[in-house]
Amino acid sequence: MITIKLNGSNVEARRGMTILDLCKEKGISIPTLCYHPQLTPTGACRLCVVEVEGARTLVASCHTPVAPGMTIQTHSPKVIQTRKMIVELLLSAHPDFCPVCNKANVCELRMIAADLGVGLPRFRTKKRYYPIEDDNPYIIRDLSKCVLCFRCVKACREVKMANVYSVGYRGHSSKIIVDNDQPLNKEVCRQCDVCVLFCPVGALVLREERFRKISRKPFIIKG
Amino acid sequence: MSDENLSLELEKLCIHYKRHDDLLSFIKKVHEKCGYLSPENIKNVASLWNVSVGEIYGLTTFYVFLSTKPLGQNVVRVCRSTPCYLENCDMVIETIEKKFNIRPGGVTEDGKFSLQLVSCIGACDQAPAMLINDELYGNLTPGKIETILKGL
Ligand code: SF4
Ligand code: FES
Ligand code: FES
Repeated sequence: MITIKLNGSNVEARRGMTILDLCKEKGISIPTLCYHPQLTPTGACRLCVVEVEGARTLVASCHTPVAPGMTIQTHSPKVIQTRKMIVELLLSAHPDFCPVCNKANVCELRMIAADLGVGLPRFRTKKRYYPIEDDNPYIIRDLSKCVLCFRCVKACREVKMANVYSVGYRGHSSKIIVDNDQPLNKEVCRQCDVCVLFCPVGALVLREERFRKISRKPFIIKG
Repeated sequence: MSDENLSLELEKLCIHYKRHDDLLSFIKKVHEKCGYLSPENIKNVASLWNVSVGEIYGLTTFYVFLSTKPLGQNVVRVCRSTPCYLENCDMVIETIEKKFNIRPGGVTEDGKFSLQLVSCIGACDQAPAMLINDELYGNLTPGKIETILKGL
């Protein structure tokens, strides 16, 4: 057990747990996008940043382990401002056809944006448009909507052990690829929808769900 | 080199690089040997290293110095990172484009030259700079580029 100062009060933490785990235990909610409890953390989106005293930059709580004597602020003005900016940047690179997206009511990006109070982005950036890939009989990929959280890559690797996806290219052109950047059409994808369930946005959808209402429960959007 | 010889040689090389767990150097070596990483090569490397094809393709496309398309005999790499950009690397690119009549990423029809845009090559003090194969040329001006290209 180690003692940590979390938002001004001393709390006990177990060695090896991440800051995010600790906050969850203490009932502090931190927005996350690329993190998923069933997958190893990636640290790609930086939405979960917190302020740690003495650290050069804000640290991502989803993969930073707690250390004795840490002083952490999870909702300081700087942290909130950074999170808002990240969401705004994500939205500005994201296509704006939510009304016709079939994951709109279960989209984690929209939920986070609503929670943080981010509306229309101020920036006009180049969007990454890719043709919709519907070669696969089960899964339809629309990578224009992809937020590069790498959850599908990890889910396929760690949950299904199939390793179909990887990350290709660099910077603004980064993209989730299959083999030599081929359309997704693999035999292992038969009857498997693991990546679809893990995708926080509408980039991956099941063919049979495409134009239907998703029967999963919609997220409760806190005002 | 015939396909069979090549895969035999790769297999031999692979043992050495595997000992050091150095996939990137291995890919560099393959790139050097074959000129570029064809889908065939990528498949070979992936099976030798026991990872997915996508992983090797991803690694290759991340680095501008590794190519998945055939290159010309001489590769002209023009830097366009910030210092070179400020010293007018656009002029360098345009001059070469005009001279060879190709666009960045392209290869001349006779297969002699290809032009690529790359990130900082560590010669910011001589900006604008370019590499032709392994040779560095700095402080470029249109006239200088002309002479360099003529000398090749
Ligand atoms: S396709 Fe979905 S799960 Fe995969 S990286 Fe993009 S947003 Fe994340
Ligand atoms: S959730 Fe921590 S970096 Fe994405
Ligand atoms: S920026 Fe061109 S060499 Fe460094």
